[in-house]
Amino acid sequence: MTSILGFGAYLPARVVGHEELAAQLGVEAGWILQACGIRERRYAAADETVVDMAEKAARTCLARTGLEPSALGGLLVGTGTPQRQFPGVSADLQRRLGFQGLALDVHLASCGGLVALVLAAELASRLGPVLVVASEKMSEVVQRHPAKETTILFGDGAGACVVSPDRGFLEIQDWIASSDGTFAEDLCMDPGGPLVMNGRQVIMQANRKLTGAVRSLLARTGTPSGDIGLFLFHQANLNLLKQVAKTLGIGEDKVFVNLETRGNTSSASLLIAASEAQDQGRFRSGEAGLMAAFGSGFTCGALQFRTA
Amino acid sequence: MPTIESVRAILAELAQAPVPEDLDSSLFEAGVIDSFGVMDLVERLEKAFGIRIPDQDMVPRRFESISKIARYVDQHKGA
Repeated sequence: MTSILGFGAYLPARVVGHEELAAQLGVEAGWILQACGIRERRYAAADETVVDMAEKAARTCLARTGLEPSALGGLLVGTGTPQRQFPGVSADLQRRLGFQGLALDVHLASCGGLVALVLAAELASRLGPVLVVASEKMSEVVQRHPAKETTILFGDGAGACVVSPDRGFLEIQDWIASSDGTFAEDLCMDPGGPLVMNGRQVIMQANRKLTGAVRSLLARTGTPSGDIGLFLFHQANLNLLKQVAKTLGIGEDKVFVNLETRGNTSSASLLIAASEAQDQGRFRSGEAGLMAAFGSGFTCGALQFRTA
Repeated sequence: MPTIESVRAILAELAQAPVPEDLDSSLFEAGVIDSFGVMDLVERLEKAFGIRIPDQDMVPRRFESISKIARYVDQHKGA
C-alpha cells in the first residue's frame, strides 16, 4: 500500500497585497478581488531561488515525517520556473539534501505537483521513499512582463510530501491523469517571455477537465462523492474553485481553500494546500479525500486517498 | 420551439445582463455570460438538447453569440 507520510511547505516572507498590485497595474483593488478572490500573495526575495524554497519545504516535510534524507530513494520536483534549462531544480536539491537515488524535474507548471505525486506513487515500490517537491518563483515571471490578467493571480512558494511504499498517513487508493496538447498555446511561456494565458479557454477547459477527472476517478473507485470528506484542488482562482464545486455538487465546506492569502503558486499550490490542511487537522482518520489539479499542456489529474 | 428561441430562453435564465436581440452580438462583450457562466450554459445545453459537447469543442468562440450556439446545437442534435 503506497502512502503519503506527510507534507511540508515554505512561503517567502514578503506579503504583496491586492492594493499594492492594483496601484502597480492601474486597476481598482476591488476588481482584483472580484476577478480572482486573491487578497495577498507572497513574493520571494530577489536573491531567494526556486531551489532555496524547495529545500525549505523539503526539510520541513522530512522533519515532520521523521525521515533522514539518506533514507530517500528518489526525488521528483514539479516546477514551471526552473533557474536553468538543465539539469533541473531536482539536481540542486539532491546535492543540498545529500542522498543517492533518481532525481528529476516534472516540468508542467500548475499540474506538476500532482503529476510528480502520482509518478512517485508508481516509483516508490521500486525506489523506496520518494520526496516530492514543487517550487515556483512566479513573481519573477509576472513582474518581468506585468499584465493585469496574470500578475494578480500568482505568488511564490514551495510544497513537499514523502511518498512511501509502506503504510502511512494517507493511503493512496488510485489516481488518474491525462494531457491534451491541443490547447498547448493557450497557456504557455517561452524562455524569458511573458506568460501567455487565454483566460476564457483556460477556465472552460479547467472546469471541464477537473470535473471530468474527479468524476472518472470516483466512478473507478466506486466512491460516492458524498463519501469524500476533503477536496484539495490546485489553487488557481477562487471563482474557478467555486464553479468546480458547483458543477460537482459538493459543498464548499469540503473544499480546502488558501488562495485568498497564498495566491496561485502554480505547481506548488496543491502541496502547500495539503501541508496547511495537515497543520489544521483537516485529514480525518478513516475518511477519504481527493486531490486534483489542472495546468499547462492542459494536463489534468486526480488522486484519491484515505486517511489512516 | 426553434433552437434559437430555446437557446435564448436558457440564456435568459443564466444571464448577468440583458440578452441582446442581435443574434450575432458577442455574449461575452455584452456581459451576458462570463468564462464561468459559460460552464453553466454548456451543462444546460447538453441537458436541454441531449447532446454531449466534447472537450475539443469547449472553446469560447463556439459560444460567443446566440447564432453560433444555435448552429452548433443544430449540427449536433441527434448525432
